Amino acid sequence: MLASAIPTLVFYLLAAISLTLAWSVVTGRRILRAAVSLMGVLAASAGLYLLLDSPFLAGVQVLVYVGGIVVLLVFAVMLTRTTELLEDHPTRGRQIIGGAVATGFFLLSYNMMTADAFVGRTLSPLPKNDVAAIGRALLDTGENGYALPFEVVSLLLLAAMIGGIVIARKPAAAAKPEAFHG
Amino acid sequence: MSWPVKTIAERTGDLLPGSPWTASVYVLLTILAVTAFMTVTGLVLIYAERKIAAHFQCRLGPMRVGWHGVLQTIADALKLLLKEDIVPRDADALLHILAPVLSFAGMLLVMIALPMSPSLQVADMNIGVLYVTAVSGLGVLGILLGGWSSNNKWSLLGAMRAGAQIISYEVSATLALLVVVLFSGTLQLSGIVQSQEAGWWIWRAHGCGIVAFAIFLIAGTAEINRTPFDLAEGESELTAGFHTEYSGLRFSFFFLSEFLNMFVLAAMTSTLFLGGWMPLHIGHFAVFNGVMDIIPPGLWFTLKTTAMIFLIMWFRWTFPRLRVDQLMRLEWKILLPIGFVNLFVSAACVVTGCYFFAR
Repeated sequence: MLASAIPTLVFYLLAAISLTLAWSVVTGRRILRAAVSLMGVLAASAGLYLLLDSPFLAGVQVLVYVGGIVVLLVFAVMLTRTTELLEDHPTRGRQIIGGAVATGFFLLSYNMMTADAFVGRTLSPLPKNDVAAIGRALLDTGENGYALPFEVVSLLLLAAMIGGIVIARKPAAAAKPEAFHG
Repeated sequence: MSWPVKTIAERTGDLLPGSPWTASVYVLLTILAVTAFMTVTGLVLIYAERKIAAHFQCRLGPMRVGWHGVLQTIADALKLLLKEDIVPRDADALLHILAPVLSFAGMLLVMIALPMSPSLQVADMNIGVLYVTAVSGLGVLGILLGGWSSNNKWSLLGAMRAGAQIISYEVSATLALLVVVLFSGTLQLSGIVQSQEAGWWIWRAHGCGIVAFAIFLIAGTAEINRTPFDLAEGESELTAGFHTEYSGLRFSFFFLSEFLNMFVLAAMTSTLFLGGWMPLHIGHFAVFNGVMDIIPPGLWFTLKTTAMIFLIMWFRWTFPRLRVDQLMRLEWKILLPIGFVNLFVSAACVVTGCYFFAR
């Protein structure tokens, strides 16, 4: 009994942490604190993946989101502002629009969730806890393989990288100053 | 000879169905043991750093407290605990308090996965290498937040430098790490150790191993902000970098995690490239291998890690500090291309299946 109670307990704990931190991401007026709360939300979802027996996904979640995206976010905030500035309160109009959008989205997702019975679909279950199987599936050109999406994603990443370099590059004229007076 | 791996997590799992309370006590004891291990390792490392630094400079180092000053770090730690704990008035108090904890957590979570011996490893994850790379990212966040929340320009500059440096060198370190993953064919840390039974990857992998080892060591030294990459806290430029405004217990958190990061780096290097707890084996020389097997695996791990720590401390008194632009050039124009070529060559080696010491 206890062995099955522990995952349930952990799930509710993680869910409570996620919700609390997500709330503080949205309502917080200090942008860096919001970033830290966001990190907590992302880490908690990694915990949820662990509960679902997918440690690889959890690892990638922490690697990409906590170690990559949040660090970049914090870095960008640090570059742009040095002192403690509070975000402005949103204007009345924005509050109304935001509230309407949030309510609409809530109703929509609530309807979707109640409409579907959530029958477990087990078309091609992956062998659990096996990184090798995930790797083979990613490079499999067969019927259940993911080679095409994998290549498309890598193409997308390449395009994003080239775009980043093009934006960061100095214009050709400015790149060669005649004399540099440091 | 086979090496059955039994982790502490597995032992707890075995206890759980029978008596959950015994399992809980076991978990508590493990936590206590890990904490004690970290504290003692930290104290020993700080003492070793001071002694080794002193001897490199023809000094004696701490000599007064205890025999050859062995109790000096304990005295210093006690002093640090009694110091006033200051949060600057204009600092973001919450983040100021959270930052050292994050920095410490990043190191602590890696510590859990380290294979110290077949019977001494807290958790042996299938995604071991990925896990280590992922959770060590928390350390950067701690440094960045610590520097920013102090509301001090030196802290901010130090944190920015440290952040840029760690993010950049992480790429090279990961590329070097992937070489070992390619050769051993597993992400599991104990699996990587066991794949080195016939020879360590540093030389068994055709030169790719030694290049990857060098890259990993350089990038790792940069990631833990040690000389010659200690621009983040260069005293002459930035007072003390990101931890300028920290004092007392919170400063000691940063300090301790910095030293223990050195241990983690040394342990990871020896696990990946020097065979971890695996004794020194040469091909199929049964007699030699048998003699080496007499030395217990835990001792092998300790010896290799100690050697690596000594090497990293040696760096500190050998190389001058790099400038920021040199630092970035070293990473993006030298290490990264070499790392990519090395990864490519080792992939070719693995695909064609040529090893010096075939199984």
